[in-house]
Order: sequence, then C-alpha cells, then structure tokens
Amino acid sequence: MNPTDRQKADSGRPVGYRLPPVFHRVLPASPLAVRDTLCDVRARFARSAPPDTLGRLELVMAEVLNNVVQHAARQSGGLPAQKPLSIHLSILRTRHGFACAVTDDGESMPNGCLVPHDLPDSEDSGPPEGGFGWFMIQSLTQTLYYHRAEDRNCLAFSIASAQPA
Amino acid sequence: MGNAMELAATDDGETTLITLQETRIDAANATYFKDRMREVIADHGKPVLLDLCRVDFMDSSGLGALIAVLKGMPPGLTLTLCNATSNVQRVFKLTRMDSVFRILPSHKQDETG
Repeated sequence: MNPTDRQKADSGRPVGYRLPPVFHRVLPASPLAVRDTLCDVRARFARSAPPDTLGRLELVMAEVLNNVVQHAARQSGGLPAQKPLSIHLSILRTRHGFACAVTDDGESMPNGCLVPHDLPDSEDSGPPEGGFGWFMIQSLTQTLYYHRAEDRNCLAFSIASAQPA
Repeated sequence: MGNAMELAATDDGETTLITLQETRIDAANATYFKDRMREVIADHGKPVLLDLCRVDFMDSSGLGALIAVLKGMPPGLTLTLCNATSNVQRVFKLTRMDSVFRILPSHKQDETG
C-alpha cells in the first residue's frame, strides 16, 4: 500500500485510531535499492524504536537483502537479468521488537543457509574477508524461519527489543 | 551515490589520517571503498589512522572490505581505526574482528548510544 492508499484506507477509521507502525516495500534486487530501503526503514521507525534495536534490525535486514541480491546475480550467471528479482519486505513494530518477512521470486534458497553458522575460519592470508552474513543474521534474530511458497522464497524472523543475555 | 567514495586524507608527517566522508559502508560501495583506501594508503606510504565517525552503518560487505584493506597494508605499516559508532562497533564485536583490528576507544560520545 503506498502512502496515498494508506491515507485513503485510514480515512474511514475512527478519529484517534493509530496505524500500527508497519513498513512495506517492493524493491528490485539491487544494492542501491537495498540501501534506499534500509534508509527508509530507519526513518520509519526512528521515533518508535530504541537505537540499539533499530541498529540490529537494519543490520539483519541488510544481510538478508544482500543475500537475495547475490543469489539473484548467481542465478543470472552474472549477466544482466531480463527482469530483476522482485523483493517484498514487511516489517511490523511489535511490543517485543520487530516481526519481519522478506520474500523474493528467485530460485529456491540454497540448502544449508539456515543450519547454524559459526564465524568463518581464518584463511592462510589472515582473517576471512567474507562469510559473516548468515552468522550475524542468526546471532541477531529470533524465530528465523524459511519456506518456499509457490515460486517465492519466504524468510520470516523477529528482532527482540532487548538483546538476550 | 554508491559509486563515489569520498575520503579526506591529511598527513601530519608521521601518520596519514583518513576520514571517511560517507555515512555507510555497504554492499553498494564496499568495493569502491577498498580500492580508494588502497590508492590513498599507497600514495602516502605511512601508518594510517582511519576515522569512522561519520559512518553510521556498516554491513558484512563493508567489514570484508576493511579486512581486505588491513590485509593489503604495505609491510611495516599499521592500520588503526577510531571513532567507530555503535552500529559499526556492533559488527566488529559480533564477528570478533575487534580482536583483529587496532581500534582506539571513541573520544566522541556516540549519540546513538
């Protein structure tokens, strides 16, 4: 729902009714679209969530969306895709933090993404330069859940308001 | 935005101070960041202090770029980071890369707490 539609939908509600803090976005799988979306997410919740919670949400969302973008690039074999993958993103501010869903119309997510990830091992040349993404996603989320529905990947997760000890 | 990578480099005789002008190191600019850093470091040929005070977001691509810069430092030259904001500190701590980098404690109070 775009802001105009939302206003229309809201106009029939009783005076004083407050929309729950929600963010929806459909974006193409590209790094700049991901960045713009993350900036908008931050702006959307800046007043309703503590900076630490918002920081964790932004980091997890960045890693999830970056994975989709990389997956899309692999799928097209590095060639420009005829039609870029479309990502749908929903974030709901809850009493306990954030509930999030990210779906995309790419091929199935590779097996093994959701198995517990450790930090990547050091390489011969020194510390690893990659492989942190899923570790950070798993470390910062609760109830991380994936399913394949029709031709879409669906990833759902929540971010707790206070970091569990 | 995204393709440009603004760095301000000043030289006090012993150290090159590089202040990143961007507010994000992410998947959209990590490669440019890495390349620009390597150019500036090679041009000056001195130990580097990288001021991250303006960077309020870094993802794993940005971290990977920083690690690549660290590993690519010319022999004998150190890379030290300073003024990391809380969002950047979180990534270092979570990935335990805070034990790999030399990171000076922040002297500016970070408003994001």
